[in-house]
Amino acid sequence: MRYRFFLLVLVFGLFIASCEKEPIYEVNEVELLPSNASKTKLKTDQQYVSILYANLFQTALSSGNLFEVSQCIQSVGDKVLVREVIISNYMNRPTVQLPTDAEMRDSLNAFITNTYNRFLVRNPSEAERQYFKNYISTHPNVTPEMVYFSFALSDEYLFY
Amino acid sequence: MERRNFLKKATAATAGAMVLPYLLPTGLLFAATGSQLAEHVVMVMFAGGVRQQESVLQTYLGQSQGIPIEGNIMYNMLNGAAPSQKIVYGTDGALQGDTPIPQILAQTLQQQGTLFREVRSSHAGHYGGMNALVQGNTLFAQGLRQKPINPTIFEYVRKHMNAPASKVWFVGNGIGNSTPLMNYSNHPNYGAEFGANFLAPNITFGAQGIAHLSNAKTYHPEEQLAPIYEMKYFLDNNFENVAGTLEGVHNTEEEKQDIKAFLKAMYQAGGNIALPPVFDNGDLSTVGYACEVMKWFKPTLTVINVGAVDTCHSNYSAYLAALHRADHAVGHIWNTIQTQIPSMAGNTIMLVSPECGRNLTSNPIKDTNDWLGFDHSDTNTERVFTQMVGPNVQSNLEVGSEGNQIGETADNVPTIAEILGIKNDVLSSGLLSSTARSLFDRI
Repeated sequence: MRYRFFLLVLVFGLFIASCEKEPIYEVNEVELLPSNASKTKLKTDQQYVSILYANLFQTALSSGNLFEVSQCIQSVGDKVLVREVIISNYMNRPTVQLPTDAEMRDSLNAFITNTYNRFLVRNPSEAERQYFKNYISTHPNVTPEMVYFSFALSDEYLFY
Repeated sequence: MERRNFLKKATAATAGAMVLPYLLPTGLLFAATGSQLAEHVVMVMFAGGVRQQESVLQTYLGQSQGIPIEGNIMYNMLNGAAPSQKIVYGTDGALQGDTPIPQILAQTLQQQGTLFREVRSSHAGHYGGMNALVQGNTLFAQGLRQKPINPTIFEYVRKHMNAPASKVWFVGNGIGNSTPLMNYSNHPNYGAEFGANFLAPNITFGAQGIAHLSNAKTYHPEEQLAPIYEMKYFLDNNFENVAGTLEGVHNTEEEKQDIKAFLKAMYQAGGNIALPPVFDNGDLSTVGYACEVMKWFKPTLTVINVGAVDTCHSNYSAYLAALHRADHAVGHIWNTIQTQIPSMAGNTIMLVSPECGRNLTSNPIKDTNDWLGFDHSDTNTERVFTQMVGPNVQSNLEVGSEGNQIGETADNVPTIAEILGIKNDVLSSGLLSSTARSLFDRI
């Protein structure tokens, strides 16, 4: 009888000890953002100009010129406007590095990827790739210069 | 029943017809309702710290160098005979600066308008003083290299008159002294959305601008610019900007093309612009380009900052020359408006005020004439003047006198507001200095 009692207590004790709560595995809530969302820092005027110059000429802007262009930006109140003027000045220089229209249209995929890599330092999403493929295909007057211009003017290009 | 419906619809249509024409793009129901004294205002921030003694008091060397020679070296603005000896402020003749610049205006501004002889400047520094002139406030919390804390007159004009950006201009003498920051404040109810176009012509059209801005390609608006913007807007729509909005003065696409055309015209002019007869310092070329801005855009408000007078810290002779040229510049502005800009002639009020004065006692720095320089930090710095000229401004009137200060530099904002018919809007913002009043109310 006593043996049975101890056996009952032992079984009950083991039962209690075995009732460990099972862990519940969950996934933390994460806000999904596109690949360009990590760009949160606004470029300074100097950063903008030096990167723009490097992107368009594939060479570095001298420190003297960098200083002067920064002063030019400060001297005009509408920053979007002055950036447009600077870009169009650069586009007017013979040493600007642009693919030809034929190169762009012959390999649109590569052109779009390269342009995103060059200016926005990332790959295009499929939607973006599709947009530019359609846009360039359906607009025969659009040149690589105009595409580059639009990238250099974009809001994303102002951030890093 | 039909009659009732007809009456209901007719009433609604009539009410709509009455209200809709007054709905403005800014969401305002009505544009400014006050009557305007003039359609255009020009304010000259004059000119980098001006001693009352050499300006309104016309003491020349008498109360600065202990040399008893007095006279008026600002004879476009003020009545009075020029000094007869020790002329150093003009252009070079046999001696440096010995040839005074001929007077531009047949009648001085003092004769044509109202002179507030003794006005209080609450700031001893340039940026604080300039901020008082454009904010109508004398906030001592205003820091350097910081946007104005309270709205500027540019924002008041743009917001309450529904004025486009290309009608409100701030032309600066450079990009130092936080000058480029003054075209709008960071006030939440105003700010960049209502900011002025800023230009520092000595940079924009100087060697830097010629090197980097003058050779801009001209793109066809529909065939080239439109696709560029279309692609840009696609990229912008795809950019998840988590860093906040991009702030800046906003010109419409049409205004931007107009400003680009203006820049191009200035580069093509190659310096052949509306310069004053003498243009041998930065202030005078700034004023030349400011006149071009007025000729091109016919702005509602133009604020021009000149500042070469500040050389007084270390070179008193150069200070006199700069002060003489600042007067020449103001005479040229007024003359250009009256003779070369028909839509602004007779329809513009100009205000001229130093942002601060200068010290009573000199510093120890001597120039080549052994004359001592003056800084700006003591109570004499509070002594400045304001001139007003144009339609509805009483001519040949003097207000205040030595020992009877009337007016302060912060008055310029409510004064401009009154001229442009937005005084009540500006005063009801509650953001002006409690002591600032329209100068018209001080007369």
